[in-house]
This record gives sequence, C-alpha cells and structure tokens, in this order.
Amino acid sequence: MKKFILGVGMLALIGVAAWLMTRESPYEWELPPDVPVPVVPADNPMSKAKVELGRWLFYDKRLSGNETMSCASCHIQALAFTDGKPRSIGSTGEIHPRSSMSLVNVAYASRLTWANPLLDRLEDQALTPLLGDNPVEMGLGGSEDRFADLLRSEEHYSRLVTEAFPSDEDPHSLLNGVRAIAAFVRTITSYDSAYDRYMAGDTSAMSPAAERGMALFFSERLECFHCHGGFNFTDSTTHANTTADRVGYHNTGLFNIDGNGAYPSDNTGLYDMTGERRDMGRFKAPSLRNVAVTAPYMHDGSVATLNEAIDNYARGGRLLDEGPNAGDGRLSPFKSEFVGGFELSAEERADLVEFLGSLTDDSLLTDERFADPFLD
Amino acid sequence: MNRPASVKQRTELPRRYLVILALASLCASCDQWDLPVEISFVATWNGDPIACDSATPALTDLRFYISDPQLRDSEGRWHDVRFATEMSWQNDAVALIDLENGEGACVNGTPDVLSDMVGVARAGEYRGLRFTVGVPFSLNHANPMTAGPPLDDPAMHWHWRSGYKFLRAGIRTENDGFWIHVGSTGCEGTVGHVTGCRSPNRIQIELPEFAPGGSAVAIDLAALVAGIDLDDEVPGDCSSGPAESSCTAPFGALGINHSTGKQEGTQSVFSVQ
Repeated sequence: MKKFILGVGMLALIGVAAWLMTRESPYEWELPPDVPVPVVPADNPMSKAKVELGRWLFYDKRLSGNETMSCASCHIQALAFTDGKPRSIGSTGEIHPRSSMSLVNVAYASRLTWANPLLDRLEDQALTPLLGDNPVEMGLGGSEDRFADLLRSEEHYSRLVTEAFPSDEDPHSLLNGVRAIAAFVRTITSYDSAYDRYMAGDTSAMSPAAERGMALFFSERLECFHCHGGFNFTDSTTHANTTADRVGYHNTGLFNIDGNGAYPSDNTGLYDMTGERRDMGRFKAPSLRNVAVTAPYMHDGSVATLNEAIDNYARGGRLLDEGPNAGDGRLSPFKSEFVGGFELSAEERADLVEFLGSLTDDSLLTDERFADPFLD
Repeated sequence: MNRPASVKQRTELPRRYLVILALASLCASCDQWDLPVEISFVATWNGDPIACDSATPALTDLRFYISDPQLRDSEGRWHDVRFATEMSWQNDAVALIDLENGEGACVNGTPDVLSDMVGVARAGEYRGLRFTVGVPFSLNHANPMTAGPPLDDPAMHWHWRSGYKFLRAGIRTENDGFWIHVGSTGCEGTVGHVTGCRSPNRIQIELPEFAPGGSAVAIDLAALVAGIDLDDEVPGDCSSGPAESSCTAPFGALGINHSTGKQEGTQSVFSVQ
C-alpha cells in the first residue's frame, strides 16, 4: 500500500513538472521596480511573438488603402510617437480634425484618444485609424481582406501569427493583427527621463532650474498637476494594481466662439460623444512625458510652442481676437476651475519650461525595441 | 432589464397554444408562414432614378439596415415579417440594403447591390408596411469583428461611436455635395459594455399604401438633402453629432428630432413607388 501511494505521488510530481515546463512563462515587462504593470485585456495576453508581429505591422505601409502609410506615419518614434503636425493627414490627403497623440505609456491610459469615453482598449481604438472613413486615415476600409491576405502570404508574418495565436485554427485575421499591434503599442513605455532618474535618487539628473520649475509645476499657484498628475502626468491613468476607473476631461478655455463657451463644431470634444452641454470643449489631459518633442500642442495643434501653452494657462484661457473662432476662452462657462490664471516672472517661466524638458526620455526616442524593423 | 426567457415562456406558452388551437380549428393554413415577401428598394431624386453614374446629382452612397418589418391586414393589425436567413445580407433580426454599386461617384462603395429584403409572413391579405431603419440595441453594440453577416461589414460600423451606421447616404452635384451617417450617439459605458444611448436615432418608417407584390419602396435623396445648400460650393456632411447643425434638416426629413434622437413628426424620404 505504501509503495502504491509513493507511486501515485511520483506520477503526480512528474505531471506537475511537465505542466510547469509546457506552460508559457508570463510576459516580462521591462519596467523599473516601482512602476506597476499595465492592464492587459484577458483575451489578448502579451507574448514575445505577438509583440514582434505587432512591431512589424505597426510599421507596414501595406496596411493602408493606397499603401502609402502605416501606423508609424502619424506616430513617429523620434517625436515620442506623435507626428509634429498640427492636425494629422490621412493616406488620401484628408486632414483629421485632431492632432496625433503620443503613444508613450498609452498602456496606462484609462481611456483612449482625445475625448472618447467609450474607448478603453487599444484593440478597439486601432480599428478607427485603420478602417474609418470619416475622415479617411489609413483607409483600409473596403479592402479589409488584404490584412489577412498579407499575414498569410508573407512567410515571416504567417510564422509569427501562428506562434502568437497558437490555439487558433486559422490565426491569419484582421482581428489577430490588430491584437498584435495593440500588444506592441503596450510595450512602448518610458521611465528613463531626467525626471525619472532624479526621482530614483540621482539628484544631479535635473538642473537647479528644472528643480525650481518642478516646484512651480506642483504648486497650487500654477495648478498644473491637478490634471497632469501621477506617474504619467495625466489624470486619466490606470494600471493592473488598481480598480479605480479614473478619467478626466477638461475645458481649458481655448475657445469661446459665441460667448456661451462654444468650440468649433467639428471639434467639440466630449460633447460630441455625450450630447451634454456641460461637456463642451472637454478633452483628456494628455501625458506630459516627452512634451518638449511633441509640438504643436492641444487637441487641434493650435498652440505652437510650450511658451504659448503656458501663456494661455497664465491668462486663464486663450483670447482669439479675430477670425471665425474669435472669442475669449477665459470667460467660457465650461472652463475647468483649475484654469484660473497666474502670474509668472520671465525666470520662473524659463524654469517651468526647463522642468518640462526634463520629462523627455532620450533613450525612448531611439530605443531599438520600438524602431522600424523594415530599416534593419 | 432583461426578462429571463424561462419566465416569459412559462407565462406565454399556454396562451400561444390556445391561440394556435383556436386558429387551427378555424382554418388549417392561417398560421402557416408561407407567404413569401419580397420588398424592393430604389434610390430616387425627385421621383427619378439616381445612381452612382448619374450625371448630376450622382449618388455617392446609400446603404442601410432595416429591422422589425411588419405588414398590416385589412383590419389594421400589424403582422411580423420574418427575414429569410439563407442570404448573406440578412439574419433573423436585420437586413442590409445596399443600393450603390461602387462605380462612378460611389468611390468607397462595393460592387454588390442588395436591393431586396426577402422574408415570409403568415398567409393573409395585406396593405401597409412599416419597419425600422436601424439595428436593435441588443445587437448594435456587439463586436463587429466577431459578428456574423450582415453585421460584419466594417463599412457599416462606427468604431469610435461603438455601434453601427444605420444609414449612410450621399449625393454629389457638380461643385457641391452632402453625405450623412446616421447611428446612435451619446452612448454610455465602454466598448463591449454599452449601457444605453442618449440619442438612439432609429428611424421609424410607416407606408400605409404599400401593397405586397406590387409596390417598391423609394428613397428620395432630394427630400433627404432638401434643407442643405447645394449651391454654396462647400460640400457638407453630417455624422449624427450633437454639435452638427448640418444634421438638423436631414434628421427632420427622416422624422427624427436631432437634439433628442427620438422619432418626432413625419418622415418624407421613404415612400411607396
């Protein structure tokens, strides 16, 4: 009887060992020890093969209707995955009403895009630039089958997609391609700015001017941190260790066309999604990481420089003297209570800009893990 | 919100059996779903046909989903029409009607033309048709990437509004044009978990003079764009947004109040031909 029990025990041990060996090891995020892991949808777990596939697809121009543009066309690594234009231009020349958003640390965004409370997964968001026709961005709508065809026809894509989705009978699909792109984009994380090194204990990482600018940034006088707070400098941040659903939309007094707070009708922000008057001109506060390389600013790219952005906040809202959008944003009834205005000396302003510059992660801008694989 | 199916069955089944029994004793074929129903849709401009290759104006798009079709009997009672589900453009809840052929001005269109809704009704004499242009809420916020036909057409899905485009239509004149996309807006929740929409924007159509077998349904693009300036040389559009004043007139033509998204007043776009 003892021998029998021992035998069963041995078999069980062998079984457990075999299970441990075949089980896929969890994805390893390359993050600093105090940074939480981002939320990953249960139906799209991370894997190395998936991220590698996603990187190629992210840079593949064949995913646009006329094969002229890829995701990377509007999300350029050297510009912290923005495009440097006031408003992005689609593959057929249509001008998007909005400015391209940075993808850095977007895995931590509780909601995606400038003002869409419905979108909380990159897998859903990616379908709009790929297939949307209002405006046309990549313009694959109408020829969606080409995505699966590409995965099937290129040997190296077929190998990666089979490896990335091992339990799918036929993994060559638009859905899986989009999942792979989302997985890659989740890996675009940045925690190696001068500010990060300073916070990790290297007090020489930031100049005295940047230190003074940081004190201003986090002061109740300037109020910047209320919307641009937390480890990602935006209040719309989430991660795997929290259950709080934090999302903030703010009217910063950029427009007040009719004296009643109106924004240009093609760019009303949250109002376009909810139809609630109080949501006029409310947009998500973008992360300020790498903000020095992501000009021009705001949802419509209508603010050219950091100094100009600071001017608008110092004034408590933007004044547009002339043109179809003329009006005094300072007087908008929908403006955030944190955009009350402040006075800033020339030296203080220079310090604040210096601090914002310390949020640039130079290694991210050239990191080979995120670079265009077609250039290798 | 959702009533458990079992409860519904328990309360309704015995009654249904009684009704069937009663009908069966009156006439053997009354309850048979054996009347074929085929409803054709045509695109018109002030009564004349309009197509993608018309000179001016030309059609640029005309695709829509219909649901809940019903026919009226001589006593004014409405009876369901069931969609045939053998064809790829219909399931048991919606039918896709596509009146563009991808040619001429329909640059973003498809070659397939789907002009007929095909179904069955109970045998009977009918005059009068009603249906909804739209996708029922229970299907409208599902994932289009995994949905079956006809709800798998990405051109009919609005990824950023998280629902289908119930209707997409457009025309082009020599120097101007207009297009409209109608779908639910002001939806709450997140993708995959939408709990409701402030402006449903579903279009109710009722055509009392429709005669099955003899009538077609005409969609008059001229009525749809009647309130749009087609001479200002500024092509316009409406994507159902609350801030888009360009939506007010065409929504009115469809019988929808643009600010509430609810049915209000009479539509002038769909008629019997």
